[in-house]
Amino acid sequence: MGTIRVRFILVALVVSFFAVGMAAFLNYFKYKSTIGNIVKSRVLVVGRGIENSVQASLQLGMQFSELSQLPQLMQREKSSDRLVRGIDVFDYSGQVIYSTDRARVGQKVPATWTLAAERSKTTEWATEATDEYVAGISVKNAFDLTVGFLALRYSRDEVEQAAAAAGRKILLAALASFIGIAIVAPLALIVVIRRFERDLRTLEAAASHLEDRAQPPPSTGSAFDTAIGHLRESLRDANKSLDDLRAKLDTAG
Amino acid sequence: MLEKNYLWRIYWRLAGVIMVCVVVALAVVSYFSHRVFERELVPETEQKAATVAASVRALMLKATGYGVPFDKLYGVEQTFGEVFEENPEFSYAAVTDLDGQLLFARGKEPDGVREYFRRPAVVAVGLDPTATWTATRVGAQYFITMPIASDKPLGMLHIGIDGKFVDNVLLEVMLDVVVVLVVSLFFTLELLNFMAGARLASGLGEFAQQVERMRSGDFTATARIRANDEIGRLLRRIDAAIDHLNVRYEFLVGELEDKMRAAAGPRREALKPAMGALEVMRSRLRFGSAPKDAEGDEMNLNRIRAPLFAFILAEEMTRSYLPTYVNQLLVAIPGFSPQIVIGLPIMLFMLIVALGQPYLGSWSERVGRRRAMLIGASIATVGFAATALAINLYDLLLWRSLCALGYAMVFVAAQGYVLDRTGHDNRAQGFALFIGAIMVATVCGPSIGGILADNIGFRLSFAVSAVMALASLLAIARLPKVEVRTTTSPRPSRGPRMREIMALMVNKRFMTLTGLAAVPAKVILTGVCFYLVPLYIVSIGNTSAMAGRMLMVYAVMMVLIVPLSASLSDASMRRDRYVSVGLIISGLSGLLLLISDSFLVLFGVVFLLGLGQALSIAAQSALVAEHCQEEIRIYGHDAVYGVYRLFERLGNALGPLIASVLVIFWGYQGAFIAISALVLVCGIAFTIATRGLDWQPQPVTQ
Repeated sequence: MGTIRVRFILVALVVSFFAVGMAAFLNYFKYKSTIGNIVKSRVLVVGRGIENSVQASLQLGMQFSELSQLPQLMQREKSSDRLVRGIDVFDYSGQVIYSTDRARVGQKVPATWTLAAERSKTTEWATEATDEYVAGISVKNAFDLTVGFLALRYSRDEVEQAAAAAGRKILLAALASFIGIAIVAPLALIVVIRRFERDLRTLEAAASHLEDRAQPPPSTGSAFDTAIGHLRESLRDANKSLDDLRAKLDTAG
Repeated sequence: MLEKNYLWRIYWRLAGVIMVCVVVALAVVSYFSHRVFERELVPETEQKAATVAASVRALMLKATGYGVPFDKLYGVEQTFGEVFEENPEFSYAAVTDLDGQLLFARGKEPDGVREYFRRPAVVAVGLDPTATWTATRVGAQYFITMPIASDKPLGMLHIGIDGKFVDNVLLEVMLDVVVVLVVSLFFTLELLNFMAGARLASGLGEFAQQVERMRSGDFTATARIRANDEIGRLLRRIDAAIDHLNVRYEFLVGELEDKMRAAAGPRREALKPAMGALEVMRSRLRFGSAPKDAEGDEMNLNRIRAPLFAFILAEEMTRSYLPTYVNQLLVAIPGFSPQIVIGLPIMLFMLIVALGQPYLGSWSERVGRRRAMLIGASIATVGFAATALAINLYDLLLWRSLCALGYAMVFVAAQGYVLDRTGHDNRAQGFALFIGAIMVATVCGPSIGGILADNIGFRLSFAVSAVMALASLLAIARLPKVEVRTTTSPRPSRGPRMREIMALMVNKRFMTLTGLAAVPAKVILTGVCFYLVPLYIVSIGNTSAMAGRMLMVYAVMMVLIVPLSASLSDASMRRDRYVSVGLIISGLSGLLLLISDSFLVLFGVVFLLGLGQALSIAAQSALVAEHCQEEIRIYGHDAVYGVYRLFERLGNALGPLIASVLVIFWGYQGAFIAISALVLVCGIAFTIATRGLDWQPQPVTQ
């Protein structure tokens, strides 16, 4: 196989690899973000129930730090979805006021949580911890002032296992496509570059007979015919001049 | 002789075949991905629907707990409406009694759903208070059904999930896949050139040159090492034929000289015709060894394209998301509004490039083009990597400055590399290669960068840019170490002097072109494309990938229109009209936002801006030589063009600053409109200033 053909095939393989790889990459990340959003919104449905209850209490004039029934409600809501690992309610300083995990009460949440809540343009926010995701709601009072934050911690496993499973399937589809293209593309390319290769072969063949004194081969219709003609003509002319010199030398004896 | 477009015709045919294969492969990947999405996402969405249903059910049970009869509940439909608003994938919700009779519903009722509600299996769910929920496909919807029971069974709650929601999710991916397809096409052409074309083009070019040399009687032998491919073998055969001729020639000349030395009298006379023949032959034909500098350096010229493309791509990839990234790292700087602070890294980058380029040209000449590129790419690689790890805006500014310095170094040195290896005959070809690499990077970079930023985040995307810059470094290292300067290479370049800058700043002709056309064109380019578009698109809830697609539209317009407008304006010799029309179209682009702020209108803005810039950009540069002949005579070509480029680049730096100030006062839309109006006014002023003038050179004060 000619080296030029090999190079063209390599180009096809590199481009196909890029395109198929990018498509697989895009599909995988789209899947991951979609599944992540579905799971997050599912968790936030649980959170909305708690938020409604908190707001109802606030509207009755209760203080945010005095919602005695809240821990039980949070515990109930947590058990309604196996995905939820824990629910925390924290204030502006990041201090946990209520939690389904008693040990967490009084502790500070990571700064990334409050930052994510502050940066969010809506009341919903989300952030990531090492082994869990956090989806949250900013709790507002009747005057639309944020009085605290509700955070629902849920396992990364659900999203990551689903993403890994989908990723494997997408990868397999991409690999199959790439293998298919690796078989078809070279064949298609060979058909397309046949004419170019024929031109090159004609050129190479003509070049191997450049110094023949015989009549030039008939025109092949190749793109190089004119160039070959010029080459032969130039060489014939030079040889003729040298022959002439040879003849004159021989005549002189 | 070989047709000029012979190779390009082959490239396009090959690219066509590769594209067909790629489209088929992408279709296969998309089809299988769709199946995976459907299989995996539907159960998750059903689970979510069940959670939502449980929440709605709790609300209903609360109401019935207060004594409201189940079939007289108030506001159920409104609650469903709120559910649809928050969950657009749900398209129908209903409550039925224990017999499956519809009590409350919202959304478009699917065909056959009432029969479904009355199915014994579904009714059984309502009668079993311990049942959780069931999922079934009804027509084009997926339904989940849940019993509603307090102390006794009351009915059933049904939520329908739109069967097309998976299609909608994948439709967003399809846009990115189309971008991948376009980028693949450009990559294909670039790779064809890099992996096969550079050698092929230079081989065929050398073959054509050899044919021409031989036609002109030049049979001098070159001592080149030929590649072991089809073209290399062909050139070796031609070399062999030339060598044979040279051997014959040397032998005959040697024989004649020997005979002349030995001959005397009549014998010497007999040799005179042979001497005459040799003289005639020598006057027509040349034999011996080709002088070294006669050998072109086309092969090495082509080798600049790959590293340049990779390097520019690294920077272009950041265009679509840089302002959003800066926004994340924003720190309050006293006295500066956040809008200005967001634009600071872009301004600083442009300023460093503007001020650095004129002086880096002579520096790269001194240290060597390859070495200058190596240093520049190394600095930029560090800059990209450090930007990926930036802590806040302050260190980000430092890292972006490194990127700018590296960019300016590589750009100038690559330009010098092309200049060094081209003469009058092939300089335009050399610059087409240079600009081609940049344009392709401009098409591919922002879109791919946006996609990466959306999926892997800003920091990792900058890391990818660092890897690209590193790859360019490796490609630069493979460039020839020996510096080459053709006999027609221009004299050493220098930066413009203050005296020249000041003199040209008060020159009416020069400033009409620079102040009314070149600078406004750059202001709108960087102000709109690099600052406003990425920020505005994200501000209206879109993604960086969408910003990348928008910038791709601009770049594609440039790639398609610039060659056409350049040849048309050259042919018509009315370049000022092209500049006027281009500026006016650019100026009208942002005014479209007066009609609507819809996404399609924004697309129109970028499209018109690309069209306007493409029409004027080539003509503008040529107008300098046309309109400022007297200035060029006095200060020299380099000085006039140097000052022109300096002002143009300062326009680049001003763009984000002006745009950010406008955003403070009038918001994003207002900034688009104001900056466009400014360019429109400049365009009209330029048209008036150049209308009817014959642009005869006028004396200038030195």
